[in-house]
Amino acid sequence: MSEKISRRDFLKLTAMGAATTAVMTGCGPMSRYVVRRPYTQMPEYNQTGESTYYASTCRECPAGCGIIVRTREGRALTIEGNPNHPVNRGRLCARGLTAQQGLYNPDRIRAPRFQGRSNPATPGRDLTWDEAVQVVATALQKPPQRIAFLLGLAPDHLYDLVSELTQALGAPPPLRYNALAALEGRTTLIEAVRRLFGSPALPYFDLAQAEVTLAFGADFLQSWLSPVTYTRAYGAMRQGNPRRRGELIVFEPRQSLTAGNADRWVPIVPGSEAHVVLALGQRVAELRGLPVPEAFRAVRPEEAAQVSGLPLEQLETLAQTFATATRPLALVGGSALTQPNGLVTAQAVLALNALVGNLGQPGGVFLSAAAATPTPLAEVKALVERMQAGEVDVLFIHGVNPLFEVPAALGFEAALARVPLVINFAAFPDETALKSDYLFPDHSPLESFGYQRSLAGSDRPAWSALQPVVVPLYDTRATVDVLLAAAQASGQALLPYRDEVDFIQQKILPLINAGGFYTAPEILTFWSRWLQHGGWWTPAAGLPTPTLERLPASFGTLTPPTPPAEGAFYLLTYANHLGDGSGANRPWLQELPDAMTTVTWNSWVEIHPRTAEELGLKDDDVVRITTPYGSVEASVYRYPAIRPDTLAIPFGQGHTALGRWAEGRGCNPAQVLPAGHNAAGDLAFIGTTATLTPTGRRRPLARVESKEGVYGEH
Amino acid sequence: MAEERPAKWGLVVDLDRCTGCNACIVACALENNVPFVGEDEVAYGRALYWIRTQRYWEGEYPEVTPTFQPVMCQQCGNAPCEPVCPVYASVHSEEEQINLAVYNRCVGTRYCANNCPYFARVFNWFDYELPEPMRSYLNPDVTVRRRGVMEKCTFCVQRIVRGRQKARAEGRELRDGEVQPACVQACPAEALVFGDLSDPESRVSQLARSQRRYHLLEALGTLPRVTYLKGVGNHGG
Repeated sequence: MSEKISRRDFLKLTAMGAATTAVMTGCGPMSRYVVRRPYTQMPEYNQTGESTYYASTCRECPAGCGIIVRTREGRALTIEGNPNHPVNRGRLCARGLTAQQGLYNPDRIRAPRFQGRSNPATPGRDLTWDEAVQVVATALQKPPQRIAFLLGLAPDHLYDLVSELTQALGAPPPLRYNALAALEGRTTLIEAVRRLFGSPALPYFDLAQAEVTLAFGADFLQSWLSPVTYTRAYGAMRQGNPRRRGELIVFEPRQSLTAGNADRWVPIVPGSEAHVVLALGQRVAELRGLPVPEAFRAVRPEEAAQVSGLPLEQLETLAQTFATATRPLALVGGSALTQPNGLVTAQAVLALNALVGNLGQPGGVFLSAAAATPTPLAEVKALVERMQAGEVDVLFIHGVNPLFEVPAALGFEAALARVPLVINFAAFPDETALKSDYLFPDHSPLESFGYQRSLAGSDRPAWSALQPVVVPLYDTRATVDVLLAAAQASGQALLPYRDEVDFIQQKILPLINAGGFYTAPEILTFWSRWLQHGGWWTPAAGLPTPTLERLPASFGTLTPPTPPAEGAFYLLTYANHLGDGSGANRPWLQELPDAMTTVTWNSWVEIHPRTAEELGLKDDDVVRITTPYGSVEASVYRYPAIRPDTLAIPFGQGHTALGRWAEGRGCNPAQVLPAGHNAAGDLAFIGTTATLTPTGRRRPLARVESKEGVYGEH
Repeated sequence: MAEERPAKWGLVVDLDRCTGCNACIVACALENNVPFVGEDEVAYGRALYWIRTQRYWEGEYPEVTPTFQPVMCQQCGNAPCEPVCPVYASVHSEEEQINLAVYNRCVGTRYCANNCPYFARVFNWFDYELPEPMRSYLNPDVTVRRRGVMEKCTFCVQRIVRGRQKARAEGRELRDGEVQPACVQACPAEALVFGDLSDPESRVSQLARSQRRYHLLEALGTLPRVTYLKGVGNHGG
């Protein structure tokens, strides 16, 4: 068919084409609305020898740092921080810097696949995406109450879409879970903020301008909420203020990287954080000449000293340091929250900030601009019970690996076997993917569109944008597109979106008039700027100020920790640079020495050298750690900065799947954690006790440090 | 075009800001195509870190605390590794005034590593194969080294060259902070600062004049281009 085009029309079209080309600077390899150009104008990603940079968002943890990916000839080379991004200001952490090892990982799932899960005799087979969409469409026609979605903490746009989908279907809302969030006590923190300040948001602590900071358990330099933001703030806190170098005091039973950088580390008994905060609060109020709030009177200082093992005089010195500081700040997270008293601790620390009047002040506490989604273990538990009772017909999983991340004591694996249809959108063959019926792999984050809008580290309202920096390597498909296609194929008018890009554009439409640092007359121009800048944020910093109407009379019941029985120890786990364990298949993250121990490629058990000596243990002796929930084995690492009554195992290793670099190394502490939760529904494991049995074997750890000079031996 | 002033590239490491997070190690490895060697080889001490964090424990429990010191090639003005190389693979570049390694000259005598007081040089004991498609992320600006070759930090010389070429093409001088090695660019605590030491106004020059400055093994007279600013105690500085 030939169309007749008049000369005048031709000129009009050409002019329009030129205008569109000028506008589409943000268009990348996956641009869906392609503008045709003559071959002399090659797309920017095809210019041999020229680098093209794309702004996107890191998805290696939920913090949502802005990244700029350098590409050449369609390959993603290096990942750099986005200098304008409000979360990280051009900086990145080790996890974000290895994202290309996820993209180009040889163990990725390369096509949609059916696995013969229920019957090992049934061979698995590859599917086409049309078949896959049909499978999802059929699954969505099950009774809505019997459909369940389990998602990770990233990406937010998928969560928003699934929320709309489940609402349209009448199914239960999607559930989110992430081991990193569980270890950092995110849900407890959100709940404490909701109870005291009325809205479910994450707090933002202005560490950069604080002069005396007390941190309870929050390992903000390595894993907590937004480590790059807080590390940047830490640098500024130390050397950014010409008048005074900020001081940092950390309370936790095992010295984390944050405590290692503190001016003072206070190793209190695990589980006694709430007692210490309440006692401190009483003295701070008195020293500041304020009436002591009722809620802080729940514990006597002598009792707190006795429970925590912190002498009264030291408590007094700390209270004086904090009360007399010009800009005091108290932070809370991690091991101070993941325990039965967690919600009390979280509220008490937030109230302590209110007591010294730093809410909304420089160097004080603010609220994040966006509402935060909690990730409660209690709801995962409820889901497991429903699965176990045969009340779930179809389970959709994306961005989370429950068989690795959820404490084994919860019985997720047995419950999963009772679900007749498990559809997993995993990009990697992780533990859960291998136990699913269908694998419908999503693109890798560097091949995806999307957004993160819950940014704990942003000092202003912000949305962070994801865009593909390379053309997808394999036959993968965006999960949002699969769900939209399936919703359409199921015959009901469930969702009013054409595809993923259309969905994101409709979601960001309100931002056009929301006072960002750029705007546009219509969505396509706005969209290209959104991609070009890697998101949207306001030009000036500014976050909501929390307002405390009235302190409750009590923060909740307080249980003192039970000391371990003779020969037993407190056991704790923590996230290092491997995060929630999904980073274990990045070889450079494996090769990276752990910051405190310099151990690579494996797990270890941290034992105080004195305790090790009493037990006759040396470095690299393999020991068995047993709790009522299970047992794991790992090599001993004599760690001088841990309480002598405490053992610690890092989280993230011990994979039985997830590819060649992750499998079969170390142990997974989730195997020995309890499945209990605190009043906020968050995982509560601090206070768990374990016994230690030598196995008589040795397995040398690959350490970068030399032990010469530490213990006078090699 | 005005005649270019040769730059004297230098690095400042502020130990009061450094948290020991190790982001620099990964940033360096992926910028410079540094291979990972695996658990056994790391245990043998054959890991190829161009930059490493030296962690020392100080004090006794409960006052025990680690100190972190990132160490990379100090880019000595008077480099002990240079005169011992029989094949002139360890050379001083005139334009950047830094110590470079010419990989295709290196025959692997390892004399340079032997003579380096900072343990900054690492050796490729094997060929480290990358499974497909991981080679896709290799940086085309940096040579991939093979077995038997010595390697070390180059201050990301490819970035210096790229920055200089860009400035030349635009007919201007390099701006302070325009060129950043990968470790400096990534450092979340902004503990690393890179720039031209011959410009007294550059940030790196200002910091290198700080009262907290020191050089590693200063007494050896190696004239390092890396300046450390010591971490300060509670109320010092």
